[in-house]
Formats: sequence, structure tokens, C-alpha cells
Amino acid sequence: MKLDRIVVLCLLIVAGACTSYSQPEKASTQIAFGTKVAKQGLWREAAFRYEQAVTKAPDNARAHNNLAVALEASGDFARALAEYKRALEIDPNNNYIRRNYARFAEFYTAYTKTTGKASGAP
Amino acid sequence: MLRKAARRAAAALVVLLVAAVPALGGVDQVKLRLPLKPKLPLRGNERIALAPFILVTDPEKARDKRLQNVDVQAEFHRFLKKQLEKKTKFDVIETPPDVKLPTQNLADLARAQEFWAAVGTQTSAELVVSGSLEFRVEDRSGYKTEEYQSPIDGRTYYRQVYVEQTGFVFDIVFLVLDGRTGEKLLQDEFKDFRQTGSRQRDELQGLFENLFSLENQILNTFVPRDREAERYIFTD
Repeated sequence: MKLDRIVVLCLLIVAGACTSYSQPEKASTQIAFGTKVAKQGLWREAAFRYEQAVTKAPDNARAHNNLAVALEASGDFARALAEYKRALEIDPNNNYIRRNYARFAEFYTAYTKTTGKASGAP
Repeated sequence: MLRKAARRAAAALVVLLVAAVPALGGVDQVKLRLPLKPKLPLRGNERIALAPFILVTDPEKARDKRLQNVDVQAEFHRFLKKQLEKKTKFDVIETPPDVKLPTQNLADLARAQEFWAAVGTQTSAELVVSGSLEFRVEDRSGYKTEEYQSPIDGRTYYRQVYVEQTGFVFDIVFLVLDGRTGEKLLQDEFKDFRQTGSRQRDELQGLFENLFSLENQILNTFVPRDREAERYIFTD
């Protein structure tokens, strides 16, 4: 009897989590879908989903972080920087966002730095 | 009978919980390929002269006689020429054997503008590459904290660098000089440590392992490259 209850409870949890895909108006649904396509390397589609999530929930640091990662993967570094900053503004103590931002800052600094110019260079 | 049922129930619970965890959300790590712009803005078809490098000798080198058999200068030149010819469209040449460095001091070498302009004229090269090379055995271990200050937000970050026990270190300081004016265009350092399985590891093999791991960074001085990076994304 007890076992039946546990099984039913677990099934309800799984079913509840799965139904989130059928609610596109929710930011978390867009994030979940964006993450699913991001893992397949479809970063532009992921960025679109995360944009939707940010529009629906402008104060969701997770959505801003994911959007920043997707923009970074798509080569839009200036916007990625702005999104990382926004994510940290909303949730400054989130270690995952902080780590992402630190790594991005390291990359972006090197990316924007160009040293010297040869006399015959364009 | 009851125990069997309990075990089955526990197994079912574990399976269900494992299935439920991703659906419930969390964090995932993803890999990105990020572009790296070349450090020097070039046309891509310049004539590059490879000049000799200063060889930095370690006073402890005598202790490890094996390294005396490695012609670091020749091996590095051969590697660099081959990589530049294979992966860029530069016209790569070596400076004539009579070209001798005016000094063994790196700072002075970078400032020897007249000398480099003369090398440029002699070889008709638009760029001249020189610098210093150091290849040595390193015996150290432990974690080292490295400070990193972000120029974007001015904050200081710390990263842990683990220095392994025994291995080969290749430390290259790259000088890229303008062949017309002799002016220093770029000075950059590339350093790599490769741990060896045992002290008997072949030194030439160690040298090339160092070089292959630095290949991307070295080429990135002249041409665009990319690198893999990891980021965290939230699943809900």
C-alpha cells in the first residue's frame, strides 16, 4: 500500500515536470526548451528562446545568464557581456553566473585586445 | 517475500527519482567554440623571416645531461616554419646563417631597431620573428593561486593552477618585429608544462608535446584560431 503511494507520488512529480513544456507562456518553459536545443548546438534557436524567457521574466537571472551564453556561442559578445552583467545585477551571489562571467571576461579581454600594427598592415 | 517487495520498491523509487531529477531542473555544463582574433592585424600574405632565438640556459641544466642532446633552436625553427607554411599563407623564410643576434639580453634585443631593420632589408621580409627559448626539466608540485584582475569590472578573481611533479617546461618569448622600421610590434610569452610518466621519458618527445600544446597560441599571433570553452546554463 505504502509502495503504491510512493510510486504514484513519483509519477506525479515526473508528470508535473514534463507538463511544463506544454505551457509556452512560462519563462521556465522557454528556458527548458532553449537548454534542450542548446545542448544540440542550436545556439541561435536557444538564444531566441532565452530572449522570450527574458521578455516574460525580466528579473530572472537564470534567463539572462542562459541568454548570455547563447549570445556568446553565436559570436555576439557585446550583448553577451551586457546580459552577464544584468544576470549578476539580479543575482550577485549565484556562483554559476559568477564563474561564467569570470571566464567570459577573461576571453573577452583577450578577444578585444590587439597588439601592435605592422607598417604594411591594413 | 516482503523483503523482495521492499527491494523492488526501493529500486523503482531510485529509477523514478533519477528520471525526475533532470525534469525538475538544475544546471548543465555546455561546451562552446570561441573565436580568437589574431594578435597582430595582418594581411595574411606577408613575408616572414625567422631569425635566431636567444637560448636561455638553466644553471641546473648540467644536472640533466639528457637535455644537452636536444638542439632546441633547430627543432623550434623547423616546427615554426612547418606550422606557418601549413596553416597560413605567409611566405616564410629563414634568415641567412651569418645573421647573429647583437645581444643575448631579451630587452636589448627587442630594442635593437637598427639591427632588425637591416635584417628586414637583407631578407625583404615585412616581419621578423625572434625571441627567447627555454626548455628545462621542472621538479615541483602543488597548487598555486594566481591573481587575475578583470579590466571590465576591475574586480580581482583568483584561479588555482596546479603545478605537477616532474616534467618538461618550454618557455617561449616571442618577438615580432617590423622588417621595415625594426620596431617591436609584439612581445608575447608562451609557456607549457608537460608531466612525464617517469624520469626516463624521451626529451625530444617531451619537447614536441610542449610545442603541440602551444601550437594554437603561437599561430594565433598571426592568424585567427578558435578554442573550446565551458559554461553553465540553467535547465529551467
